[in-house]
Amino acid sequence: MSLFAGIDIGSLSTEAVIIDQQAAMVAAVILPTEAHSTKAAETALEAALEQAGARRPELARIVATGYGRVSVPFAHKAVTEITCHGAGAHHLFPGTGTVIDIGGQDSKVIRLGPGGKVVDFTMNDKCAAGTGRFLEVMAAKLGAGLDELGPLSRAARREVAISSVCTVFAESEVVSLVARNEPREDIIRGLHRAIVNRVWSMVRAVGVEGQVTMTGGVAKNSGVVELLEEKVGQPINVYREPQIVGALGAALLARDQARALG
Amino acid sequence: MTRKEYLQHQKTQRHRRVVGVLPALFPREILWAADAVPAEVWDPPLAVSRAGAHLQPYICSVVRQSLELILSGGADLVDALLFPHTCDSIQNMASVVHDYCGLDTPCLFFYHPKAPYTQHSRVYYRDQLQALLERLQELFGPAEPGALTAAVEMGQRMYRRLGEMYARRAGGNLGLGNEEFYRVLRRGEYLHPEDFIAELDQVLGRPAPAAAPPGPAVILSGVVPNPPGLLSQLDRLGVAVAHDDLLMGSRRIPSRLPAEGDPLDRLTESYFSLPPCSTRSNSLARRAAYLGQLVEQTGAAGVIFLIVKFCEPEYFDLPNLVEELKARGVPSLVLDTETNQPYDGRMATRVEAFIEMIG
Repeated sequence: MSLFAGIDIGSLSTEAVIIDQQAAMVAAVILPTEAHSTKAAETALEAALEQAGARRPELARIVATGYGRVSVPFAHKAVTEITCHGAGAHHLFPGTGTVIDIGGQDSKVIRLGPGGKVVDFTMNDKCAAGTGRFLEVMAAKLGAGLDELGPLSRAARREVAISSVCTVFAESEVVSLVARNEPREDIIRGLHRAIVNRVWSMVRAVGVEGQVTMTGGVAKNSGVVELLEEKVGQPINVYREPQIVGALGAALLARDQARALG
Repeated sequence: MTRKEYLQHQKTQRHRRVVGVLPALFPREILWAADAVPAEVWDPPLAVSRAGAHLQPYICSVVRQSLELILSGGADLVDALLFPHTCDSIQNMASVVHDYCGLDTPCLFFYHPKAPYTQHSRVYYRDQLQALLERLQELFGPAEPGALTAAVEMGQRMYRRLGEMYARRAGGNLGLGNEEFYRVLRRGEYLHPEDFIAELDQVLGRPAPAAAPPGPAVILSGVVPNPPGLLSQLDRLGVAVAHDDLLMGSRRIPSRLPAEGDPLDRLTESYFSLPPCSTRSNSLARRAAYLGQLVEQTGAAGVIFLIVKFCEPEYFDLPNLVEELKARGVPSLVLDTETNQPYDGRMATRVEAFIEMIG
């Protein structure tokens, strides 16, 4: 049986997905990237193979993506995460016209055309403002786990205004708000609003078409998703494990490439 | 030979003067006629420490680094500095250098007319050429008889070769990758035309490539082809830059090169045949039409805008150019750059994703 693998080496986590000829997912793993991209890719792929009960020679083709894509010597091809998230989102939600991906270090908004092909995109390329790393720092400052941020935000009774998504400036603001005994829930909702406003400016630059699908680790935060849905004015598709969408897209592209090569 | 060694050699062995020139449009031929070698200053590789004291934070890195070069003594070998009136920032920098920095180096200014042009623009431009030549002669002594005509003809030989290089590249018949193309082109920023023309002849003598790069072709638009990492990435991705609309590139190649007549009239005629440019205030319609024409003629699949952060002339035009291209169905990518900025992973990802999108 021929299998196809996609590996997404992100700044915080590395995901590996293995699919079969029918694009059925037979393995999906998420591991921390830590300090070595190649090692992270190797470890994630081995874990995925073990989960699939398969061996390396059964992999007909491997595509690497994510910022560490160039450091995967055993990959047959490297493809950007923009193309891979587009392919993955289109496969999971075929009506997707817009993908919002908020990862550990960057955010992207991707417009898809027919067949899930990328027709436009934008990404923040200057700093990690308003990304997963921003939320990590704020959660630590507020003594909350990342998993708690969504429920806490949704329990807020009001919203505190946060004027910046710069991690350094926002952290100072949060310190001031904590000093004023502002409820933690209200601060978290304010932080989520700041992220959504930042992403919304990117969404407007690209435009909303069709269904909107959110990918990347921040999509697990129901507080951010809820506020984004308010902005977009429609429900947002979120896969049960949004972090693996890029790796899934890479695996799908590996399958397509293998077919094209015969 | 490094740029500095070359310029030093020109002074000591060829007894020529060296004039440091700020971007971008200036009459090279006038300097050559005065037996001076222009050394253009676009993006000196320096860490900025002194220039910040004289400039606002929103001044572009081209001006910031050029001022740093001057203040740090990097331009000590030049016999004069020439400031063309390219933008407000360069104009203000000229005042800073001339009035406040206590430099002994003579500062020259060159004011070229901005669009829309009237019947007086040509007269004005010709007067400016004459004034610059006179000022150079005051500084360096009288030009040899016939030197200006010889310089104009040398300039025309250079432009013909540059035009051929661009045309052959657009047709896929030039044996140079993207990185090498701009490395050759940028040597013209400081080589004496005799040496530069010899190098261009060498390049044009190379055999055409056996096959075109496998990827899509793109057009570059903006100021300078920086960061260099972009060009090597395009080479690696098999993407050919089919043409450019760069201020240091094709925007300085005139389409009309009059064969005879008064040399200042010939230069004037050439100036008014330059491609449209933000720094000459050409209309958006002309710029959009020009870009559209480049895309159509070369079959390029997209345009990459390389905009130096805080470059006002470029940013004024950019949103409309992007919209105009979109209306024509031409995808574009805008990269905010700073001179000497490292080509980081995020920028490389954006470029690669753009190529995947248009490929």
